[in-house]
Amino acid sequence: MTAHVDLNMARTLAKSSAVSVELLPSVARFSLRAGTGEQTALSKALGVALPTKIGQCTRKNKIEVLCLGPDEWTVLAPEDQAVKITDACEAIYAKAPHSLTEVSDREIAIQITGAKATDLMTIGCPRDLDLLPVGEARRTIFDGVSAVLWRDGSDEYRLDLWRSFAPHVISLLETGCAELAAE
Amino acid sequence: MTTFRVPGRGRVLHNRPVSFTFDGMTYQGLEGDTVASALIANGVQLMGRSFKYHRPRGPMAAGSEEPNALIGTRRGKGRFEPNTRATVQEIWNGLETNSQNKYPSLKFDVGAINDRAYMLFSAGFYYKTFMWPRSFWDKYYEPFIRAAAGLGVSPSEPDPDNYASRYLHTDVLIIGAGPAGLASARAAATAGLRVTLVDENSEPGGTLLSEPQASLDGTPAWDWLSAELDALTDLDVRIMTRTTAIGYYHQNMIALCQKLTDHQEKPAEGAPRERMWRVRAKQVILAQGALEKPLVFDGNDRPGVMLAGSAQTYLNRYGVRVGNKAVIVTSHDSAWYAAFDLASAGTQIEAIVDTRPTPNADLIKEAAARGITVLPGHTATGTSGRLRIKSVRVNKVENGKVLNARNISCDSLLICGGWTPTLHLFSHTKGSLKWDDESQTFLPDRITEECQIAGAGRGLWGIASALNDGAVMGAAAAKALGKSATTQTVTVANDRPGTGESHTELPTDLDPGKARAFVDYQNDVTAKDLRLAVREGMRSIEHVKRYTTNGMATDQGKMSNINGLNIAADALGKKQPEVGLTTFRPPYTPTSFGAFAGYHKGEHFEVTRKTPIDSWAEENGAVFEPVSLWRRAWYFPKDGEDMDAAVRRECRETRKSLGMFDASTLGKIEVVGPDAVEFMNRMYTNPWTKLAPGRTRYGLLLGDDGFIRDDGVIGRLSDDRFHITTTTGGAARVLNMMEDYLQTEWPDLKVWLTSTTEQWSTIALNGPNARNLIEPFVEGLDISDAAFPHMSIAECTFAGFPARLFRVSFTGELGFEINVPARHGRALWEKLFDAGQKYDICPYGTETMHVLRAEKGFIIVGQDTDGTVTPYDAGAGWAIGKNKPDFVGMRALNRPDLTAEGRKQLVGLLTEDGTSKLEEGAQIVLDPNQPIPMKMVGHVTSSYHSDAAGRPIALALVEGGHGKTGDTVYIPMPDRTIKATITGTTFYDPEGARLKL
Repeated sequence: MTAHVDLNMARTLAKSSAVSVELLPSVARFSLRAGTGEQTALSKALGVALPTKIGQCTRKNKIEVLCLGPDEWTVLAPEDQAVKITDACEAIYAKAPHSLTEVSDREIAIQITGAKATDLMTIGCPRDLDLLPVGEARRTIFDGVSAVLWRDGSDEYRLDLWRSFAPHVISLLETGCAELAAE
Repeated sequence: MTTFRVPGRGRVLHNRPVSFTFDGMTYQGLEGDTVASALIANGVQLMGRSFKYHRPRGPMAAGSEEPNALIGTRRGKGRFEPNTRATVQEIWNGLETNSQNKYPSLKFDVGAINDRAYMLFSAGFYYKTFMWPRSFWDKYYEPFIRAAAGLGVSPSEPDPDNYASRYLHTDVLIIGAGPAGLASARAAATAGLRVTLVDENSEPGGTLLSEPQASLDGTPAWDWLSAELDALTDLDVRIMTRTTAIGYYHQNMIALCQKLTDHQEKPAEGAPRERMWRVRAKQVILAQGALEKPLVFDGNDRPGVMLAGSAQTYLNRYGVRVGNKAVIVTSHDSAWYAAFDLASAGTQIEAIVDTRPTPNADLIKEAAARGITVLPGHTATGTSGRLRIKSVRVNKVENGKVLNARNISCDSLLICGGWTPTLHLFSHTKGSLKWDDESQTFLPDRITEECQIAGAGRGLWGIASALNDGAVMGAAAAKALGKSATTQTVTVANDRPGTGESHTELPTDLDPGKARAFVDYQNDVTAKDLRLAVREGMRSIEHVKRYTTNGMATDQGKMSNINGLNIAADALGKKQPEVGLTTFRPPYTPTSFGAFAGYHKGEHFEVTRKTPIDSWAEENGAVFEPVSLWRRAWYFPKDGEDMDAAVRRECRETRKSLGMFDASTLGKIEVVGPDAVEFMNRMYTNPWTKLAPGRTRYGLLLGDDGFIRDDGVIGRLSDDRFHITTTTGGAARVLNMMEDYLQTEWPDLKVWLTSTTEQWSTIALNGPNARNLIEPFVEGLDISDAAFPHMSIAECTFAGFPARLFRVSFTGELGFEINVPARHGRALWEKLFDAGQKYDICPYGTETMHVLRAEKGFIIVGQDTDGTVTPYDAGAGWAIGKNKPDFVGMRALNRPDLTAEGRKQLVGLLTEDGTSKLEEGAQIVLDPNQPIPMKMVGHVTSSYHSDAAGRPIALALVEGGHGKTGDTVYIPMPDRTIKATITGTTFYDPEGARLKL
C-alpha cells in the first residue's frame, strides 16, 4: 500500500541528478463542456480562444485552456480568478448554454523537470513522447492511472492526476527518479 | 589442473582472472567468460543431470538455446535462481553456482537408476502407469509425480531485487545484432529513422564474434565490428545488449527483457536487476539467425558431445578448446570449419565423419592438407564414456546398408545436423511458414505484421549474404516508412558459406529400439519415443508433442522441434508440412516473474485509493477494508474490542447521540445544461421534473434489461444543475453508461456530465444530535427542520469552507452529509470531531453503516441485488415514475419474465429462536424434510446482529417473497437447520419518526 502523501503542500517530492519531481501549488480548475455553437461566446467570456484541436492549448492572462475532446476543455487559472471565470460564464449561460464545473480539488499537478524527464515519463506512460509537442497536452495513462500529461518544455512535463490516484504515481516517480540517477 | 584455455585467443580478458564456484569448488575463469566457457576451460564438461533419466550431461551449445547445462546461481541472500543456463550466465568474482537434479552428487546420482530402467519410461509412460487403480491416485501417484516434477529448486526466500520497466517507441526495431542486424541498422539509420538494435548476448556481433577469420571490406572482422558499432552509435542507433526480445505481440508491440545486473560483481545499490521494455515499433526486422541442429544417434548426449558451431564459438569467442581429441560428425559443411579452427589451436582432430558420400571437394582438400582423416558416407551408431565421452562408434554406409563398425577414441564429439532458422518471434505473430524442400526446413512465408526477416532467419547462409540481405531489409523498412536508405555492399573475404543435408535418426546396424538417440535433451525424449507415439495413434505433431513432451521443456524445442518433426513425419510416411509444426509462444527464453511484475510489488502492487480523511482514520486505529480500488475504514476498535463489539458500540452510540462517517468515496457526477432534467428523467426510474431546486430524491438506475445497476441520493442545485451521488464501486461505470447514452442515443440533449467524486470530501453525520453539532458551523442557511427538511440540499459556508450540505439519512436517524472541497476534508473532520466531543461523537466505519442501513431495510446495490433484481423485486416500485414516457429499462420491466409470478423478491428474515444469526449467502428452502437435492427458493443477502432490533436481522431474496410475509422458511446449515419467518424489510422505526427531529 502506498504511503500517505500530503497533497495540500506544494514541495519537492523527489530530486536526483537526473530529474526533479515537484508537487505544484494548487490552481483553479474547471471542466468546461459546450457544443460548437457556443464556443465563440465562451472564448469571449473567458478572454482566451478555446482551442479546437484535441491536445492543443491556448494561454492568455494566466488562463490556460486545453482541448480534451470535441466538446470538452480544461480551464486552469490562478485561484483568485476563479470567481471571475464562474461569473463570466454564468452571465452568458442563458444564450450560450454550457457546463462549467469546478474541479480544483479533484486533481493535483506534478511537475517533472531535468535532463532525464522524458525517460522518467517512459516508465509509466505508453505514448510516444516524441509526438507530444512542447505546449500541448494529452489525456493518457501513467502506470495504469488516468492522467493529463502536459509538455511545457523539451525536458519539462506536468501530470494532472486525480487526487486519490496521485500517491501511487508519486511513489513510482520517486522510484524512477532514483533509478535514473543510478544509471 | 588441465587447462583448455588458448593464450591470447578470444574476446575474454586474459589479464583479468575471475574466481567463482561450481558445486562448492572454486574455479578460475576470465572476465568475459560464461560459467560454461570457464568450466570447459578447466576441463569440466559434466554440468548437470537430465530431467527424466538423470543422465550425466554437459553443454550442447554456447548460447541461450542450451538444453543441458542448467545450473542454480546464487548472488547473495535471497538471490537464488534455478535453471539458469550456464552458457549465458557471465562469471564474476564470488559467483556461486551449483548443478541440479542430482543426489547425492553430480558424479554419483541415485536417480540415474531411471536410466537403467529406460525401457519402462517410454512415451506416454505417465498416462499408462498412473491410471489404475483409481484409489492409488491421491496417496501414491500424485505425490510421486509431484516429487518427480519440476527441474531445479524453487527459491524459498522473498526476492530482494528490484525490477523495472519502460515504454519505448522506435521507428525500426532490429532483433539480433549479427551481420544481418548490423547492416539493417545501418541502412535504417541512414534514412534518419529512430533505430533500436537489440541482442540477447553480452555484446553485439553475432556470428562475427565466432568468425574472426573473416575480413570485411579488407578489415578483420572484429575491427570492422568495432568501427561499425561506433558508426551506429554516431547515427544515434540505440544498441541494447543482454536484451532478449521475449514476445512479439499485436501491432508490433514487442517485449524486451534486459538483464542489468546478473553479470555484475557489485551492482549499484538499489539498481534494478532486469528491465522489461514494452516497445512499439513501426517496423521490425527479425535478424535472429539460425540455430544448429544435433544429429540423432545412440549416445548423442554424453558430456563432451557438443554442437560443432558451439565448439567454434568457445574457441574463437572465449579462447577455449573443448577438448584434446575431437571427432566431428556432420551432415553440413559448417562443422568442417570448426574442425579446422580447433586443429589450428592444437586440438587433435581424430576424424571428420560426414554422412554425405561426397562432401565438398575444397573441404576435403583442406582436411587433407591438415592431415585430418575424412570418413565420407559414414554414420555414427554409438558412443561410450560415463561422465565424459571416450569413443564414438562409426560405420560406413553403402547403398543404404550399414557396414562394419569401428570405434574412434575421443574426448569431444562435435556434431552438426544443419541449421534451423530462428522463427520463434515470427511464429508469435501468426505469420505462416513454408516448408523448403531443398533446405529441409521451414522458412517464413506470409507476413502479418509490419516486419521483415533478414539473413539466416530466412535461410541465407554466410556473412556476406547476411550482411547484404540485412541492408536490403533495412532499406525496405525505411521505404515502408516513406524514407530512403543508403545501402552499402560489403565485400567479405574468408567467408564460410556452405550447404548440408537433413536427417532423421542416423542409420544404424544395431537395434534401433534400444538406441538412446536423443531428440529433446532437456525432456529426455528419444527418437524411439516419437516413433512409439505415432504407432500408438498420434497423428498431429501437436499430439506427438504432448504425448512425448518433445519440445515442451524450458528451451521450447529450440534444438528438437525440427528433428522431432522429421522423425514423426517419417514414421507417418508423410511430408513434414502435412504433419505441421507446433506453435512457439512467448517468452523466447525463460523470463523471471520479477521482470513481468516490474514495479508492481509490495507497496506499489496496485493502486490503493484513499480519501483525504484516511490518514486520520489510520492514526485513530481504524481497521480497513478494500472497496473497489479504495480502502475504507471498516470499524474503529477501542480498547481491544473485536469487530463485533466495536460495530455494536458504533451502532449504539450513533443511534443514541451522534456518529460520523467518511462518505468521500461515494461517486459524484455533476449534471449541467438546459436539458439536465430531461436527461435525469430518461436515465433514472424516478420523476425529476417536479423536484424543486434545493430538494433531493433517492434515484434508481437500471440497465436496459430492467435490472438495478446503481442508486444514490440526487440533489437539484438549480433548474439546470444536479448533483448525483452513486455507489462507491459504481462511480466510473455509471458515468461511462451515462456518457454512452448521451453520445450515442441522445446527442441532441444539451447537457454535460462531469465527475466530481474527488472534488468533494464528504462527511456524514447521523444521530439525534446531528443538527446540534453542525448548526454553529453553518453560515447563511437556516437548517431547522422547517426550513431545511429531510431530503434538502443547499450551498453554504460550513466552518469557513465552501460547502454543499445535504439533509439525508442512510441510517434512519437525523442525518446530514457535508461536502467540502477535498483539500479541506481532514480539517473539517477534525473540527467536527473536536466539537462533537460534547455529544460523545462516534466515528464509525463501513460495517456499522451496513448494519444501520439494514435495520432500515435500505439496500446495498451488489449485495442485496445481483444484477437480476428489478425495482419491483427489491420492493422499490415506488421509485418508478409511472407517468414518464420512457426511462432506461422501462420497456424491459414489461417483459413477461420480469412480470411473472414467483420472481425472487427482497424480504426480511427473523430467525425463530431470536438468537441465531444467519450466514450471508445461505440457501433457503420451504421444506427441510424434502430429499436432497432440495429445491432452493432463495438466499440470504445481508445478515447482522442488531441491537436496535434486539436480535439478529437479515434480508433475503425469496421466490414470491412479497406474498409470503409471516411464512416459515428453513436455512439448512452443515450442523443444523435454522427456522426463520419472512417479514418486511424495515426492522427499526418503521414510521420514520426519528428523521423528524
